[in-house]
Formats: sequence, structure tokens, C-alpha cells
Amino acid sequence: MDSYAYQLYSQILKIFWCVLLIIIAIAFIVFAFPYIKDVLIMLIIAWLLAMLLSPLVNFLEHKGLGRSWAILIVMILIFAIVGVLFILLIPRIIRTVEVVISKLQSDVITEYSLKIENFFEKNFNNAELARNVTATLNELGIKLLGSLGEFFKSVGSFLASMVIIPFITFFLIKDSRRFKRAFISQVPNRYFELSLNILHKIGNQVGNYIQGQATDALIVGMLSILGLFIINLAFHGPIPYFVLIGMFAGLANLIPYLGPVFGAVPALIIAILNNPPNLGLVLLWIVIVFIIVQLIDNVFISPMVVSKSVNMHPLTVAVAVIIGGNVAGAMGMLFAVPLTGIIKVSSSQVIWGIKNYELRHPSRVGENLSKKNKQ
Amino acid sequence: MCYVKQKKRGIMESPIWGNGLFKKKNKEDSIFTALKKVPIFSDLTPKELTEVEKIVHRRRYKKNETIIHAGDPGLGMYIIVNGSVEIVEEDEKAGKRTLAKLSDGSFFGDMALLDEDPRSASAIALVDSDIMGFFRPDFLDLIYRKPKLGIKVLLALARIIGERLRHTNELLVKIQERKDTPRNG
Repeated sequence: MDSYAYQLYSQILKIFWCVLLIIIAIAFIVFAFPYIKDVLIMLIIAWLLAMLLSPLVNFLEHKGLGRSWAILIVMILIFAIVGVLFILLIPRIIRTVEVVISKLQSDVITEYSLKIENFFEKNFNNAELARNVTATLNELGIKLLGSLGEFFKSVGSFLASMVIIPFITFFLIKDSRRFKRAFISQVPNRYFELSLNILHKIGNQVGNYIQGQATDALIVGMLSILGLFIINLAFHGPIPYFVLIGMFAGLANLIPYLGPVFGAVPALIIAILNNPPNLGLVLLWIVIVFIIVQLIDNVFISPMVVSKSVNMHPLTVAVAVIIGGNVAGAMGMLFAVPLTGIIKVSSSQVIWGIKNYELRHPSRVGENLSKKNKQ
Repeated sequence: MCYVKQKKRGIMESPIWGNGLFKKKNKEDSIFTALKKVPIFSDLTPKELTEVEKIVHRRRYKKNETIIHAGDPGLGMYIIVNGSVEIVEEDEKAGKRTLAKLSDGSFFGDMALLDEDPRSASAIALVDSDIMGFFRPDFLDLIYRKPKLGIKVLLALARIIGERLRHTNELLVKIQERKDTPRNG
């Protein structure tokens, strides 16, 4: 009985230390988060990139190239893409958004406010309601575009720090096995196989998920560009910057349910600001294009490229997006859903491991054997 | 001063040289030697063995510590670098039954390189043992990245399993003959 009490005491002590350590770790993260936020975001992006590019490196290696050469080629490719983005696209996007905001704050909004006010006065005989509605819409529009501008500016500053990200990515790809081995070597023997198996499964599933999401975003972006290009051809160019808008739609598609709406809004705003002769029809076609793209995505692309194990409830998506927005602004909103997906995949694999390994029942063969030997 | 010369002069025995870089080289040498002894790696060139060496996991198990548990999903094979391991089958009614005792250079759990089926027996360290693990996900990755090397290992594995199957068949025939003999007689 004494030995049982001693065992129980040591178990309770162990649990106590574990809980204390977890609390200290959480407190440290909460305290240090504002200081390490930027580094953390950079690390996460580098890790996502490494996950995305590893198959390409493996493919080049499979084709007979040495690993170092394969990584070098892929890294040159990244530098080229980042360089093109940095030099060509980002300043243009920021300029476009700023132009749109200034336009919104000046003539176009006033014109539409007057139209809405007249409509309300004629139909409801209530000018005050009309003024309230237009004021609210005005505020909402400026707020939305303001956050859009902020988003692209944050992307810009992000790209500035992306000189560091490719370096981190390089080492994450090059030494991924070494990091994994170093981590696994610290795991006690009892949990070694379990940890190794879970780590491999998480790596596979997360890799597939990230690659699937990236492919999905790329295809949706290209389809959106094509759709907007056709509208431009049919209506004599009512949507300038359609390539940028399409790319944004592809990126926004990373956020399920809300993404397609976020993707369509810039196209609608730009069309309104451009004010073509048949505006109503153009707006209708923009909505139709984005609905068609979403249909194609949901029926054909998503089921093929995005892992089904990461299906998320709309409520989960909404909560993740809100938390992501609060933690890291627009970038946080964009990456909240993929990160939630990664957490979901990882936790399901941990649960699988706990259910399937010896941990499910406490009797240990080795321990039984040692008891027998002692007897 | 090169490593070989130092070794010849016995500098490697020195506690000063024994720590740090040269100790690591010594440790890697023992992994290399242990890998060479394993039949599935016996056909590999030194360069190919270095590739395998990069993906194996080295563990130390204390006396009576369980290395693998019967019933756990299979993940890969283990090679004994140094030590002794007992393969046991544990039954609640019949108790523990020793299937084999393995020593330096032996390997076990190789079937798990092919699928995730539950382990059929447990492996327990009989003395403090230095063990090396070679696991299926790394093996599959190796087959994709270095197909020539992967196929070599895969062929050797198939050969070993084929030999075992032949041996099992022979045993079955013998058992069958033994069963049939009294009836005929």
C-alpha cells in the first residue's frame, strides 16, 4: 500500500510539474508575443513555403539532381518571383488602392449618395433615413478600402522582410530531416515510435493540405482573371487592373465561405468607380463570373486538390478569421484558416496515435518482465 | 593531421581527441559498420550507405526497456548496433514466450517496412543496448528521391522475405508429413 501511495504521489507530482510548465509556457508566449510577433509570422511563412516547395526539391532530386542543387534552383526561382512581386506588383497595388480610396472620398461617393437620397425621398418620403443609410455605406466603404490598403501595405513591408524569409526557407528545406531527427532524439524511448509516426503523418497531411490550398488558389485566381478579361472584352474594358483583382480573388479564396465575397468586392468597387455606360449589366456579370468560378471550384477543383480531412464547419472558419484578424490584421485573417486546418490535421493525428499505440493501456511488457525478473 | 594517421598513432584513444569531432566520426563509423552487416543493406556502396545513414535514428535502451510493443502499429525495423534484445510473445493466459534472442548486428521488425500492420511480438532490451531504427516513411521517401538506391534495398528486402516464406513452407510440409505419418502407419 505504501508503494502504491508513493507511486500515486510521484504521478501527482509529475502532473503538477507538467501543468506548471504549460502555464509558464503560455504566460511566456502571451508576454513575449508582441515582441516576437513579426519573427513568428516570418517563421510561419517560411515554414509554409518550405512545405510548398519541398515536393519540387524532391522531384528535382528524383530526376537525378543533387539535393543542394535542387534547393539552389528552387531558391533562385523564389528570389525571381519575390523580386518580380516586389518591383512590379506591390507598389502598383498600393498606388491603385490609394487612388481608389481618394476617388471614393471625393466625387463618386457624393454622386451615389445623392442618387440614394433621391431614391429614398421619392419612394419612402424619408430624407433622414436616406442620409443615415448613405453615411453608413460611405463609412463602410472607406473602412473596407482602408483595411485593403493597409493589407497591401503590410504585404509590402512583408515583402521587404522577405529577403530573410527565403534564407529561412532554404535552411528549413535543406535541414528538415536533421531538425526532425534532432527533435525526435529528445523524445523518451517510450513515446519515440508514436512521436515519429505522428510527426510523419502530420508532415504528409499538412504538406498535402498546403499544396492543395495553393493549387486551388492558383486555379481560382487564373479563372477569375479569365472571367474578368472576358467582361473587359465584352464591355470595352470596364475593369482595369483585372489581373491584380484576379490574383487577390485567388488569395482570398484561402478563406472558405467569406473568401469569394472578399474576392468579388474589389472588382465591383473598381467597376463602380470606373462608371461605364452599362454599369448595372457589368456588375451583374462580375457577380455571375465569381459565382461560376466558385461553382467550378466547389464542384471540380476543391474535391480534387484539397484534402477532405480538413473540412471545417462555417462557425470554426468565422471564429478563426476573427481571431486571425485580431492577432495579425489582414495577414492574420488570410492565414487563420490554413493554420486552423493544420491544427485540426495535427490534433486528429495525435488522437490517432494515442488510440493506436501502447499508451491506450498502461501495462508495459518490459515493466512486467522486469517485475518477473526481480521475483 | 588526417584522421587515418591519428588513428594509426593511437591519438584517437586520447580522452582529449576522443571528445568532439573525432568522437563523432568514431560513432558514425560504428553506424556504418552496423549497417553493412544488415542483409538488406549489404549490396550498397559506401556512398549509398552514407545516404541510409542520414535517415536512421539512433537510440539507447536500458536493460528491460521495451523497444517495440506487440499490437502497436508497425513503423519500421531496428538494428542492434551494440547489445542484446529478446523478442517475446505475451499471452494473458500462457504468459511470456521467448521467440528469439538477438545480438550485435541482428535486426528485427523488418516487415513493418512494408505496411502498418500491428506488431506481432514485443522486443525488450536484455542489457543496455545501442539500437538503430530505419523507418517506413523515410524508406518510402528514399525510394522516391533516390530510386536506384531504394530499389536495391527493396529487392534485398523482398529476397529476405522470400527466403523466410520458403523456410516457412518447408516447415509446413514437415509438419504436414508428421501429421500424416501416424495415420498412414
